[in-house]
Amino acid sequence: MDLAARRGLETDVYQPAEDSQLLAQTAGDRLDKLEQRLERYGDAPSDRLRVLEVGTGSGYVADQIATETEARVVAADLNPHAVKQARERGLEAVRADLVSPFSDGSFDAVVFNPPYLPTDPDHEWDDWMERALSGGEDGRAVIDPFLERVARVLAPDGIVLLLVSSLTGVDAVVETAGEAGFSAAAVADESFPFETLTILELYQ
Amino acid sequence: MKESLLEILCCPLDKNDLELEDAEYDDSSEDSEILSGTLVCTACGERYPIEDGIPNLLPPDMREESPA
Repeated sequence: MDLAARRGLETDVYQPAEDSQLLAQTAGDRLDKLEQRLERYGDAPSDRLRVLEVGTGSGYVADQIATETEARVVAADLNPHAVKQARERGLEAVRADLVSPFSDGSFDAVVFNPPYLPTDPDHEWDDWMERALSGGEDGRAVIDPFLERVARVLAPDGIVLLLVSSLTGVDAVVETAGEAGFSAAAVADESFPFETLTILELYQ
Repeated sequence: MKESLLEILCCPLDKNDLELEDAEYDDSSEDSEILSGTLVCTACGERYPIEDGIPNLLPPDMREESPA
């Protein structure tokens, strides 16, 4: 038994932490505002906001959004263990690489707590937890391709809620988002001993 | 997966529509969820499995179980 298993730590699926809580709280608030802006208050299925969580992990954030809003929430992840946990929570789960299997204009909002820790390539540990945490050398190895691809699946007036750490560099992410045609606003932040977490709302 | 999810799914390779084949439904659930089956791209013919109610829409070269 390896060290993580002996300590009873999860090694396959990232479990909710401070970042997940900040994203879940902020998403509930921002989606309420989006719903008001788009005037989608009705009960008809077509009136419900459609929200995609990319990299859902345990499904915690998607579940919170589904509970706190009227939105239809789809939870996607690359990791087979993660989509299984998300489905066990009762979420609609899809095993996917970022947004690649979703049709054009399908979502009013896409929410993502990406792997963002800058990692020394010689010290990557090569399991599902590493895929959930590591953002490559600059911390943006997953964020950059996400920003290049996400606009395709957004409906008109759709937004992206992206969690970014000071370890990753908020300015660099805002710049890449700008190149992909997005304006960015910081809608929440929270400081911790080693990093500050910011939620960026991206809009076109 | 719910059948209505098909409306917002597409082939991850060429973004064309998917067709459902060999679907088995969970009759116990209210909206008869699809438990297993295959999603087939109407353009390129690539096949994507649905297992335990979860569609696996990873591109074929990413489908292996190991994370590396």
